[in-house]
Amino acid sequence: MSVTVEFSLNGRPCCVEVPTHWTVIDLLRDRLDLTGTKGGCGEGVCGTCTVLVDGEPARACLMLAAHLRGRALLTVEGLERDGALAPLQEAFARHGAAQCGYCTPGMLMAATALLAGHRDGAAGRALTDGQVREALAGNLCRCTGYHKIVEAVLAAASGA
Amino acid sequence: MRLRPFALSEPGTVGEAVAALAAGDGEARLVAGGTALVPMIRLGLVAPDRLVSLHRVAGLRGVSTVHGHLELGAMTTYGHVERHPDVRRGWPLLALAAGRVASPAVRSMGTVGGNLAYAEAASDVSPALLCLEAGVRVAGPRGERTVPIGELFRGFYETALEPGEIVTAVRVPALPAGARSGYVKFCSRSAEDKPLVGVAAVLRMADGGTGCAEARIGLGGAAPTPIRAPAAESALRGAELTDATIARAAEAAAAEAEPLSDVMGSADYRRRMIRVWVRRLLADLRAGRAVVGSPS
Repeated sequence: MSVTVEFSLNGRPCCVEVPTHWTVIDLLRDRLDLTGTKGGCGEGVCGTCTVLVDGEPARACLMLAAHLRGRALLTVEGLERDGALAPLQEAFARHGAAQCGYCTPGMLMAATALLAGHRDGAAGRALTDGQVREALAGNLCRCTGYHKIVEAVLAAASGA
Repeated sequence: MRLRPFALSEPGTVGEAVAALAAGDGEARLVAGGTALVPMIRLGLVAPDRLVSLHRVAGLRGVSTVHGHLELGAMTTYGHVERHPDVRRGWPLLALAAGRVASPAVRSMGTVGGNLAYAEAASDVSPALLCLEAGVRVAGPRGERTVPIGELFRGFYETALEPGEIVTAVRVPALPAGARSGYVKFCSRSAEDKPLVGVAAVLRMADGGTGCAEARIGLGGAAPTPIRAPAAESALRGAELTDATIARAAEAAAAEAEPLSDVMGSADYRRRMIRVWVRRLLADLRAGRAVVGSPS
């Protein structure tokens, strides 16, 4: 059984027919060839498949593709603008915030949501180390590279 | 890894959802946020032939206040509850507990109604809702009813919901004037885990005194279901909140709990941690400290 799903994909309208038992990560990787989003535990625990749905972080492995209908999906492929990396991505590169890189797309998406929420909600107040760690608590890095990742997010937040 | 195939129906009203659950062959399950159901399907713990999605059902999302009560649509996410100004102002205990659920990504997906229907024993939100004496609105083939949350949980992942019934809303009464409330969560592994032990409490002090007029304590991870701790509550009610009273209440909570052993910790360890975290929460509430997350 399949359903037709219309949604916004990285800012562009998208309409696909998708099997009802497919999750968002199945759709991204195996139908749309957007392989930036990585699959991990499949149970919502590791965070590596994190994407943004209507601006909020969501687990692509837990969300049925059918539930994308009418919503705005942002994946790591949608972060760059006019061929240039987003400032957050630049900060990750500059701070060496990746080792094997498998968790990086999920980290970037969770941090993107944090930075957007912070811009909207706490104008003028600097993001703290604790807030970054809390926002990334559901994203595991098995190379144990958390320090560099937190540094990169804080640098991006301060515009450094 | 793909999920085992299932058919999907996406009704637009509660009535259609109730009908869709009953219609057709094979096992049907409701899906809300999917944070519990999808892992269960992936792990082979359930194998539904059909899912009935609540995503297109009108009127199941949102927070409102009605005659001083808080009304949460069943499809309201924890993230929404955590951030909503009315919840933070009038029901801070609920905002606090919702904000401690797993990670931001799970809070943006998981729903209040889904968590109750799943009857997660180590829920963050259920101990708070037990303390707040919420009513769970349910619709089913025989109409609508309200199940007091104290009667909802029947056993390990088992509720008082009849076959075909759907949680539609949660109604939360106002806290007594002047009540203090808090939630603490202790994780034995990592911060975004389910609680090994979660403790919610509401205390109302006697007018002009230091005695405790009313006490409500809710526990997660302490039994096969979320529970109230009536013996601990009686140890507090009418008593001066001395260290000895608090210790007695914590001891009573540990004694009346029926913890299970699992990968997070043994039953014995859980019982000891219940004693510790009930004591710490009560001491912080006595001191009038706003309790956010883990008290010192």
